[in-house]
Amino acid sequence: MQSAISGRDAGRPRGICATGLTKRYGNRIVVDDLTFSASAGVVTGFLGPNGAGKSTTLRMILGLAKPTAGTVTINGQHIADIADAAQAVGALLDAGAVHPQRSAFDHLLAFAQAAGLGRRRVEEVLELTGLSRAAARPTGEFSLGMKQRLGIATALLGDPQALILDEPLNGLDPEGIRWMRTLMRDLASEGRTVLFSSHLMSEMELTADDLIVIGEGRLIAESPLEQFIRFNTTQVVRVRTAHLAELAVALGRAGVNFTHGPDSLLLTETSDASMVGRIAAAEGIALDELTSIRESLEDVFLRLTHHATGHRA
Amino acid sequence: MSILLSEWTKLRSVRTMWILVLSTIASSMALGLLGVSDVLTSADTVLPANWDPTATALKGFLFAQLIIGMMGALSVTGEFETGTIASSLIAVPSRFHFFGAKVAVLSALALVTACVTTLLSFLLVQATLANAAIPTAALSDTKVQMALGGAVLYLVLVALIGVAVGVLTRSATMSMSVLVAALLLIPAVGPGLPAALGQWFAMFWPITAGQSAYSVVPGEGNIDPFLGLALLAATAIGLCVTAYGALHYRDI
Repeated sequence: MQSAISGRDAGRPRGICATGLTKRYGNRIVVDDLTFSASAGVVTGFLGPNGAGKSTTLRMILGLAKPTAGTVTINGQHIADIADAAQAVGALLDAGAVHPQRSAFDHLLAFAQAAGLGRRRVEEVLELTGLSRAAARPTGEFSLGMKQRLGIATALLGDPQALILDEPLNGLDPEGIRWMRTLMRDLASEGRTVLFSSHLMSEMELTADDLIVIGEGRLIAESPLEQFIRFNTTQVVRVRTAHLAELAVALGRAGVNFTHGPDSLLLTETSDASMVGRIAAAEGIALDELTSIRESLEDVFLRLTHHATGHRA
Repeated sequence: MSILLSEWTKLRSVRTMWILVLSTIASSMALGLLGVSDVLTSADTVLPANWDPTATALKGFLFAQLIIGMMGALSVTGEFETGTIASSLIAVPSRFHFFGAKVAVLSALALVTACVTTLLSFLLVQATLANAAIPTAALSDTKVQMALGGAVLYLVLVALIGVAVGVLTRSATMSMSVLVAALLLIPAVGPGLPAALGQWFAMFWPITAGQSAYSVVPGEGNIDPFLGLALLAATAIGLCVTAYGALHYRDI
């Protein structure tokens, strides 16, 4: 993909920045004093259970919904003040948002023309998303995967610096998911800001660099994914052997705390499995199993959002 | 300029739009013909004293106006109902420019449609009347030209009202209900209301008033053609301003 990001907007803060963002519908607070930022050059995952206010937040970033309070900027500017919006931001909010009678080409052409672009650019994004051969077909005939690709093609029309994608992996087959992941990573590595939402932690693990977690409209966590994993997941080491008693004595001598499982020992205060291996080897004890077990991110996410949302189920 | 192109691409790429354009023309012609069938059949028909072959030729507007109004409504409800409005407003964040472009492009298509509809309906009915040796109106007549111009404007204004109704209701079925009520039901039922109220509806209901624009021979109790058209134009503009306000303040 051709890209002219580096020279553009020099000196302006790049990325998406929300400060005290709040949205209230009547008495219902959907987004509550949300402050976060998504940096250029990385993929930022925007995670929260259904109804946490993710879509509303994305709509406020894009100027489609007006915040009750707070501000949000793209590259330091509110979207309404950006001269060339298509070059600043592209978005995929709802892959189903196509007129069923309109061909994919005309769908893209309409938005390309609105951004002052022509047929050449439409052909480029069709090529990029692998839709060239389906371009003349009405979008009503498209599968969800194709609509998702068309949505991405629409988002990429202006060769934008920032991309906002609402549940882009939802409903895709494994091949589609891999395609979307690779694309998001590539776009970020070109220096773009990529913010994508999901309600599944598992979708974050392989895609996101940074993580923003919200629940009930409030910020729960904001950190690099790696750090999030380190701070929030607990690890234990499980060891099994025919000589449990001997191993227990040896570990005790080495000052390692452990608890007894039914046929194993669990070390809850260390994640260093190799240390256990060394101690066992020194004592000549053969091990049947030595496993480092990490709490799954899905569990962490459920624990965190459950804590934030209280007992709703 | 590029926004206008974009809106034109949206309009022309939906098959329904073209069906509506053709239906507007066809229904006006067909109903116009049906409207004069009673004077054609009996040889000794006594024509009414205020026989107006121009207005008679445009009787098909009764139905055609509903179709052209729906054309206006569908040009925006399509965006709301499919959700493409989000992509449109991300590409063009200024809702003023977006709405302006929509109105401009739809008006242009409505203008062409209205010209063809008016002219073909007029010519078809005059030819039919001439065949039956019934007095006709001539295109060279200034009064006829003005009436036909009024007819074209009438249809364009109804299309604009359709756009405004589409923005306000954001739904094709709701727009349909509103247009049927405003264009057909109220003009039919309103004048039947008691005394002054009925008289007001008979004269000043903007649709009824606007229809006076395309009569050459003023009917009884009809408003002045220019005043009628001005009243309809003011209504259409007022509705469009209201629609823009709604578009500006509402969340998408």
